[in-house]
Amino acid sequence: MGNQIAEKEKPSHLQHHFVDSDQQFESSKFGMWIFLVTEILMFGGLFVAYIIYRSWHPDLFYLAAKELDTALGATNTVVLIASSLTIALAIRAVQLDKIKAAINYMAATVVLAGTFMVIKYFEYTDKFAKGILPGAGYTYDGIAHDMAANFFSIYYMMTGLHGIHVVIGMGLIIWMIVKAKKGAVHSGYYTPVENTGLFWHLVDIIWIFLFPLLYLID
Amino acid sequence: MSTHHISTFATLMSVAGTLLVLTFLTVAVTWINIPEPFNVVVAIAIAILKAALVAMFFMNLYWDSKFNTVVFLMSILFLIIFVSITLLDTMFRDAGLPVY
Repeated sequence: MGNQIAEKEKPSHLQHHFVDSDQQFESSKFGMWIFLVTEILMFGGLFVAYIIYRSWHPDLFYLAAKELDTALGATNTVVLIASSLTIALAIRAVQLDKIKAAINYMAATVVLAGTFMVIKYFEYTDKFAKGILPGAGYTYDGIAHDMAANFFSIYYMMTGLHGIHVVIGMGLIIWMIVKAKKGAVHSGYYTPVENTGLFWHLVDIIWIFLFPLLYLID
Repeated sequence: MSTHHISTFATLMSVAGTLLVLTFLTVAVTWINIPEPFNVVVAIAIAILKAALVAMFFMNLYWDSKFNTVVFLMSILFLIIFVSITLLDTMFRDAGLPVY
């Protein structure tokens, strides 16, 4: 009988295999961190490629980075930092049960992520127009270096994989807005918003490294 | 409960402000000519500082169970192993640079 009473007091979000909400929250968050580790190591492969090519052809990286627009790269860095701030504020709002504010902060995050992608779109199309395409598609002759195509292959792979993550992040945040509108997240249960926030901050951290490594080679 | 830290508005704003200042700084150091390889060292040092701020105060590692920090740092450790062992090969090849 005692067990049945305890069963009734369980909050609806609590899965039966957890002792309490805190254990569920901690486990879920730990799982998210494990996933982020795999993300770091996936991007790690690309960073290793970058490091090896730069150690082989430092002159190429110096020449090719001049083709990248530092102003646009810096703007995108500011945009992503702002989006990290808004998602952090969204989590704070959910923790304080200010669901309406949380939805607004998440919507702002989606808008900022969209801004990032629009700027990236202009950067890509500008390069495509010049014939700067990854791999065999490279036809640009403005860089006096035999290996110029390789820099841009690395550039497109790193920023492309990052861009895919931004789009996925936008999808996750929109999903969280839907959840918040349904009243599925609140101060007692905000695990999905917290984990989406962790994902989004990791996307920000990766860009924090991509920006100086690709755009700021002097 | 320590597991549910709620950051103050002021904390989040000042972390974001610091990140913006560091972004400006990382661009500004390219205007002065720092000799190789220290320009890369400075750029990476600023990036690490920024990443640490995001991880500690936006991703809440500062207040979390320290186990999450250990997991995060392990990924960095394995990344360093990945980079250094690969470089031990590619940096010391006698045959010269490959064609790619």
